Amino acid sequence: MMHKSWRFVPMAVLALASAGLASAPSVQAKEPSAEAVLNTKCSTCHPRTATGGLFRIDEQRKSPEGWAMTVRRMRQWHGVILTDAETRNLVKHLADRQGLAPEEAEPFRYALERRTVVESPDDADLATLCARCHSYARAGLQRRTAAEWRRLAHMHLGQWPTAEYQALARDRKWWETVSGPLPEKLAAKWPIDSTAWKTWKARPSPNLAGDWAVAGHRPGKGDYWGRMEVKRSAADSYRLSYRLTWADGSTETGEGRSVVYTGFEWRGSTRLGAEQVSEVLRASADGGRLEGRWYLDDQDAVGATMVAVRGKQAIAGLSPAALKAGETTRLVISGNALAREVSLGDGLKVDKVIAATPDSVTLMVSASAGAAAGMREIAVGKAKAPLMVYDRIASLKVEPETMVARLGGNGGPVPHAPAQFDAVAYTADNLRIGPVPAKWSVGNFDETAEHDQDAKFGGVLRPNGLFMPADAGPNPARKNLNNIANLLIKAEVAEGGATVEGSARLVVAPQRWNDAEIR
Amino acid sequence: MTSKILAAALLALGALSLDPAAALSKEYILTSTKPNTLVLVDPAARKVERTYQIAGPGAPLGIVPSPDGKIAYVITNHWGSLVGIDLDSGNEVFRADLSDGNIRARNMFGLEISPDGKEVFVMRSPVRLGQGEYEVQDVGIAVYRTDAGLNARPDRILPVPRRTTGLFMAPDGSRLYAVNWDIHTLDPKDGKVLKVDKVANWERPNYGVPDVFGVWNHYEQAKVFANPYFAVRTDLDPKDPAMARTGMLTLDFATGAVTMNEFENTSAVIFSSVVNPVRRNEVFSVYNTLSKTDTGTNQLVKRVTLPHTYYCLNISGDGKEVYVAGTISDIGIYSAETLERIGEINLPGGHDMGGTWIRMVQR
Repeated sequence: MMHKSWRFVPMAVLALASAGLASAPSVQAKEPSAEAVLNTKCSTCHPRTATGGLFRIDEQRKSPEGWAMTVRRMRQWHGVILTDAETRNLVKHLADRQGLAPEEAEPFRYALERRTVVESPDDADLATLCARCHSYARAGLQRRTAAEWRRLAHMHLGQWPTAEYQALARDRKWWETVSGPLPEKLAAKWPIDSTAWKTWKARPSPNLAGDWAVAGHRPGKGDYWGRMEVKRSAADSYRLSYRLTWADGSTETGEGRSVVYTGFEWRGSTRLGAEQVSEVLRASADGGRLEGRWYLDDQDAVGATMVAVRGKQAIAGLSPAALKAGETTRLVISGNALAREVSLGDGLKVDKVIAATPDSVTLMVSASAGAAAGMREIAVGKAKAPLMVYDRIASLKVEPETMVARLGGNGGPVPHAPAQFDAVAYTADNLRIGPVPAKWSVGNFDETAEHDQDAKFGGVLRPNGLFMPADAGPNPARKNLNNIANLLIKAEVAEGGATVEGSARLVVAPQRWNDAEIR
Repeated sequence: MTSKILAAALLALGALSLDPAAALSKEYILTSTKPNTLVLVDPAARKVERTYQIAGPGAPLGIVPSPDGKIAYVITNHWGSLVGIDLDSGNEVFRADLSDGNIRARNMFGLEISPDGKEVFVMRSPVRLGQGEYEVQDVGIAVYRTDAGLNARPDRILPVPRRTTGLFMAPDGSRLYAVNWDIHTLDPKDGKVLKVDKVANWERPNYGVPDVFGVWNHYEQAKVFANPYFAVRTDLDPKDPAMARTGMLTLDFATGAVTMNEFENTSAVIFSSVVNPVRRNEVFSVYNTLSKTDTGTNQLVKRVTLPHTYYCLNISGDGKEVYVAGTISDIGIYSAETLERIGEINLPGGHDMGGTWIRMVQR
């Protein structure tokens, strides 16, 4: 009944998708350079300033996603006509020339990796003035001059005139604050000039081509390890091929490509098995390590951590990362050019070497009942890695502890947005043991949810901790209300004859109609 | 009673009953639905009388009928234009585009018409679109002559504080009330501030800033603005149910008198309220519930759960029926006496009503 207005949405969704940061550079020889685009198209509205730069553009630095968002808005709001190739070149150029140093982006990587978190802003004023509408990260991933922060404030109210009427704006002089003293505060907190950026910008971009060992964990599926072959196709552009083994014994291959922005921001797009995934990784300063997250393009709550290492004798990961005292466990150590000598320390005995190659060492390990509990360092040749030994699971946490899933489908253009949970075990000393298989159930979060039978209507929790939300739109079985829900996601594991439980909160929300590169 | 006065009273009565327009006058509901459709409803017959397709994009927001019930002034074009629709012919007889050149302007809720029907008052929030930058401009009330035709330009712009929402006129047209953090009483001729009634800036010990936010104008029956406010007691433990209080703010258009009194510990969200024109101590409020409160005793009289959320409401001139509207695609009809649902009117097309208003019009 309300579907007619949805016809406008696919355009916005499409525009966002086409802004993918890992698209290969155009092969057209005559494609104009980013500088040419800046000088011919951007400068129409952004004239040269007295210092020779382009008005506004030269007074800000941001992440690749931040620049992609800006360029998209220039196309959508102000009608600049750019080919997709021009857009890609422009974003790459701007992110390289006016990006963020790794330590500047570090506190807010969760937003780039599209993780759902409850943020912890370090400034209560900014949390209310800015992050009541969008993530704190969206602001924290930018650097501007004071004048430029002020122009950004004017853009906000000019573009969204309701902003000063909303809750947490109308109880204060919101506009007077954000256009008055706030820009100077922001310019001091997140300044255009920084030593970190000056130092980082001077470094050459590393060549990341080569053979990499990769390892990671996908909630709902388990650990994986394997190889990534990276070939350079152009400056900062790569072609990738993956060969992965999952903890359940299955294998998977993948082909993809990546672009590296600002000398360290790896953005990949890979067909992995039957799934299309995006990679958001950061390269270490020495170019020897990649770390971050990949996620399914159409379900970004579903994804995996990833570490990649190269060079001799480097460990990518252990699976599992913890051994229980008194038990025998199959342990896989994956890495690059690994030696054969394994040293696990007191109380851990290698019963059998199941396989040993330069890429991985698979062992049956017995941990004695008296093995010292806690973190220890193991060695494979010269490579070292942390391994936990624990006596029992004392508590269980469900991650993420607060999560949002979104209704979708049902004839509308916005698909369901599921949530993926993982049950993570902890010791009595609150040391993280790691993800463990659990029995899942879903309940109502509070009395109101109980009354409204949210658990019945909100969606279905699958045995692997994947919550698939219900359909969007009015539900006749719910007096034509929709299927929004406030749920308690519960996990339990058996431990020593007892049951250890953990829980998380899941809000099943309506569709996200307008998505953004940084939410 | 002297015979002279009696004669005058009888004469007035006779004149009233002999006035052909008044004799034929009937009460209608004026509201809207998507896409960009004005809807005239006959509440007595429980049916949609007529729809009017408004040209251009967007969906109606504010609606004010002319005092003679012949023309509806409607905000449309994504809050960027005010159009006048002749309710007999369906023709657009007035149009004012709020943007002008490189100034992009949007109506921010406030919309009112003078009692003589000669001027409309539109709350306007402008931004200058400069080369490569936005520059937020001062807000103001654009005043248009209703005979200005299809390319109307403001006769004058009255300065007003930012964040002004409601605009309401005194019945004699001498004062214009502008609701923002406080209530400013203005001279509609030049915007001169005649009086300020403190609301957000109230000076009440142990209370935080009261939240008063109403974007509707549906107060024609009792000629009283009634809007819920939510306030927090700063001297109580946050877990104390009495910490969050809901009250009712009223502004009498004829006298300018403002009252603010709490009637309950906050237990329901309320979007908008309306005063019964017959029993003027009765206030009806709507969101997920329909409430009746008594502003004489500051008590909640009754509250019923609604089948779905409604944003706005109005009331019949005889004070007997409450009409709730403004979300999905129906007007729910409730007994003012019992709060029972006694009828409903489904709007054509089944589209949602957006942020519309619901007005009562005599024609």
